[in-house]
Amino acid sequence: MVGGSLRAAEVAAPRAAFPVDRTVVVWGGVTLLAGLLLPWTREQRELWSFSGGATGAALAARHLGVAASLLLAAAAIVAAVLPLPRFRRGQVVLALSGLGAVITFLSIWFQKVPLGLGALIVFLGYLTLAGSGISLSGLVHADPFTGATILWVAGFVVVFILLPLGEVLLASVFVRGRFTLDVLLETVRSPGFLLLNNPATPANELAQAGRIGLAGGILLAVLAVIRARRARPVLLWGVGGGAGVFVLAALYYGFGAVRNSVLLALVVGAGSTALGFLFALLGERSRLPTRRLLGPLSILPIITPPFVLGLAMIYLFGRRGFVTHQLLGLDTTIFFGPVGVAVAQILAFTPIAYLVLQGVVQALDMAMEEAAETLGASRWHVLRTVTWPLTRPGIANAFLLVAIESLADFGNPFVVGGGQPFLATQVFDAFSGRFNPNEAAVYGVTLLVMTLVVFFLQQRWIGRRGYVTVTGKPGAGALRPLPTTLDYVGTGVFLFWVVLTVALYGSVFSGSVTVLWGFDYTLTLEHLRGLRGQGMQVFQTSIMLSAVAAFPSMILGFLIAYLVTRVEFPGRSALEFGSMLSFAVPGTVMGIGYVLAFNDGPLLLTGTSIIITMAFVFRNMPVGIRAGVAAIHQLDRAIEEASTMLGAGTATTMRRIIMPLIVPALLSGLVFAFVRAVTAVSQVIFLVTPRHNLATTQILSYVQYGTLGRGAALASLLILAMAAVVLVLYLLSHRLSPRVVRQAAA
Amino acid sequence: MKRVLGLLLVLLLASLGVVSAAPAGRVNVLCSPNLVWCDAIKVEFPKATGIQLDYVRLSSGEAFARMRAEAANPSFDVWFAGTGDPHLEAVELGITEFYRPKSWNDLRPEFREAVGGKYIPLYAGILGWAQNERLLKEKGAPVPTTWKDLTNPRYKGLIAMPNPNTSGTGYTMLATIVQIYGEKAGFDLLKLIHRNIAQYTRGGADPGPLTGRGEIGIGVTFLHDAIDNILKGFPITYGSARDGTGFEIGGLSLVKGARNRDNAITFIEWALSPDGQRVAAELGQSYQIPSNSKTPVPRVAPRFQDFVMIKYDFLKYGKASVRDALIKKWSAEVFALPR
Repeated sequence: MVGGSLRAAEVAAPRAAFPVDRTVVVWGGVTLLAGLLLPWTREQRELWSFSGGATGAALAARHLGVAASLLLAAAAIVAAVLPLPRFRRGQVVLALSGLGAVITFLSIWFQKVPLGLGALIVFLGYLTLAGSGISLSGLVHADPFTGATILWVAGFVVVFILLPLGEVLLASVFVRGRFTLDVLLETVRSPGFLLLNNPATPANELAQAGRIGLAGGILLAVLAVIRARRARPVLLWGVGGGAGVFVLAALYYGFGAVRNSVLLALVVGAGSTALGFLFALLGERSRLPTRRLLGPLSILPIITPPFVLGLAMIYLFGRRGFVTHQLLGLDTTIFFGPVGVAVAQILAFTPIAYLVLQGVVQALDMAMEEAAETLGASRWHVLRTVTWPLTRPGIANAFLLVAIESLADFGNPFVVGGGQPFLATQVFDAFSGRFNPNEAAVYGVTLLVMTLVVFFLQQRWIGRRGYVTVTGKPGAGALRPLPTTLDYVGTGVFLFWVVLTVALYGSVFSGSVTVLWGFDYTLTLEHLRGLRGQGMQVFQTSIMLSAVAAFPSMILGFLIAYLVTRVEFPGRSALEFGSMLSFAVPGTVMGIGYVLAFNDGPLLLTGTSIIITMAFVFRNMPVGIRAGVAAIHQLDRAIEEASTMLGAGTATTMRRIIMPLIVPALLSGLVFAFVRAVTAVSQVIFLVTPRHNLATTQILSYVQYGTLGRGAALASLLILAMAAVVLVLYLLSHRLSPRVVRQAAA
Repeated sequence: MKRVLGLLLVLLLASLGVVSAAPAGRVNVLCSPNLVWCDAIKVEFPKATGIQLDYVRLSSGEAFARMRAEAANPSFDVWFAGTGDPHLEAVELGITEFYRPKSWNDLRPEFREAVGGKYIPLYAGILGWAQNERLLKEKGAPVPTTWKDLTNPRYKGLIAMPNPNTSGTGYTMLATIVQIYGEKAGFDLLKLIHRNIAQYTRGGADPGPLTGRGEIGIGVTFLHDAIDNILKGFPITYGSARDGTGFEIGGLSLVKGARNRDNAITFIEWALSPDGQRVAAELGQSYQIPSNSKTPVPRVAPRFQDFVMIKYDFLKYGKASVRDALIKKWSAEVFALPR
């Protein structure tokens, strides 16, 4: 919309001294017409519902705000036609539309009823006009398209990311409209939150942790003395290390959600990063033929609803599990509970670590290692003294990313957690089980604070460096092979991983076509047939809403990527931060925020498909941003400048120059957004309604109720559909990219 | 690239068209029983009435929370099945309203009295456990017959029960033990049972399949859920406490301010009719005692006369204040203990 009208305006720019500004005329007209003809409020949930009595034309006589808003739109059109200098006209339009936006906002807000399509378009129209005004008046050095885009994006980020988070924060200290710390204190003091010294046991766990911390501190200090023979490291190791050991011991002996989640994040972060690093080394430098398997395998867990593997694990490793009991004859229940969750999460999140570290290993400068070898270092010595220090920031980056994912993960603790409290599941239990949104908000805020701290560490400390290595091209120099022992041992670990993954997927598929998963292996089609009513409906809804959401996720992500990499404007870093925030915010917290923010008032959206779509869009937009930023960074600015010199506006440049050059990145962003939406659970579990139920929540229901065959059948269907989509788009992007390169070269 | 995007757009629009082409009459059901039952009414109700039924399955506790959150603007029309306590609470909070169905006088009088005529009884289920006798034998543990038996240290790591925080079944067990032994002795008993618990499950039906697969030896659950697992082919049996056991009266409620109120009432009438209630056992893998006295009781369903039933005080233990206090006490004094 924006692009088309703008292009027309610019191509046809007449030479008169004070030409009519077509953009402002068009958008002023859109605003005025929508305000007059479309309803400002709605009685039903669906945004598309129309009622004649609520149009601007009908309301204007009674409602001062509506009348003023419509008049201001008309005034903006007049300002665009009057012979005014460019910057003066910009100032006038900016003032009129700013006032219009505020009046529209206030009249929507104080009506307290759900806003209608008309009010929405009027508000967005004023944002567009204000964007043009900013541009014309020269406040920001950008064309009207860019100005409007900035305001639109900022508006969406505020409404769909900041507002829900704000609601969660408020709900933790405001109960029924009154400020109180009672819920907060009560929750924090409850044993389900964190219990360091259990009053119900005779032992004092905290004191014991203290003793262990003291012993650990002394031990580390002694070690430091032996190695360094200096005072500072001794102090550092003694005090710092001791405190670290104390915290770990206290958590280990403790109880509650914080304890479980933190320990889990540490273990999973370490495990996934170690495996991911090993696989990255193997993938780049192994001399064994298994190397080729690494790429395809890394996407497998991405196309799987996270908890499905955890569930399959129980069938393989439970007390009567296929592997543990039938093959090994063991009798163990260790995989129910935190250990099982940790293994399931390591399986699910190692690919993330792998993808990060693959870039890091690729970007290593081979010449350095070559030099070290020429100087006589063994391959192990090179690995330890050259490769390892160079990859350390990347490894820390992978660790922190995995830690965020682990903290935020809801499905695995829910399915395999064995009833132990974790932060993400406590949010759900408090909200869904104990009917207490305020308590849920307290858990949510705790989780939010923890993920944000990790996120900040990641961004400030290594995030930037991480980007460069990911987008960088491999340096010159011959490939340095791994030490032979490491190569073979590592490949052994990898093969074990492959076997495990194949077994888990096999287990899920077998569950869908056998009578009783993990028990009676007689073949049957009964579970697949059982999907005919509800199963197929939720499958369709999932695919459809995810597909609908994928496009805005990608486009919005790309626009934000463009704005933060190519345009200078005040508030740029705030916009970048706000939009990346939704990556760090756990899905359950966002879900609660959406319910709290969009359940009544002007922004009523619960119960519609729009809110689910929006949850998908803003959850997956960061994927688009990352892909976009990485891709745009590789383009030479000169190409765009040439386009601008030849008279194209930003919209044209974006559409005709940038987009074709980064098609593969856009397509992969699209696929990721789609796949992540289909497999999403936590952010939508509070939002589904009978008409808009989703496959993942339905699988969770089947699992929860022990109707495992149908759950497995639906999960298998979902996995196969995802695999097909990924494959098709993978082939498509491979076919597209060479042509793009040719075009770019020509 | 343009062609590709164009193609995708066409596909998108086509799928939109397919999904939005739906019949006019609809009813939105918040469905709390066995999912297969929900799947069955989704198919059978339109067959009987021509009204399309959409549902979301939430356990009764979750369902109540959801309805309370949306009370001002309900997205559901009717709440189907699930433990009675939250149905009672919902009526008292004005989230649902009492609707007197045409078949009111056909409903079993003892059910109507037990719930004080405050919500519509849909079925009754008896609390008990599923037991995996093979595993118990392997472990040298006897088959339990009372709640007290469950404290036997031989059962360590062999028992699963639903967490009262999330499950109506779990709360029914908690309230049953408190009603039999009093609060002090009851909690002492629960603390001893706690030492043997392998897993607190989220939902009330979860312990059944766990027992079936032999993860645990005893899974506290409603008997109709245990029977469902037996009929599915799991090698288990069911039993119940001889020192007394509680029961639930599943509810059916009309949501206040339902947008499809007429269709909701049609649904309620159908769900209480013998034809509607037969769906449970015949297609829904659910074997409770149906509330309509004209509905044949499923052959496999457990009967009250075969068990030692306590006089479960629904009006007292269904009250939010009593319930919250008991669950809070349990969470602090029992759940937090090491096992």
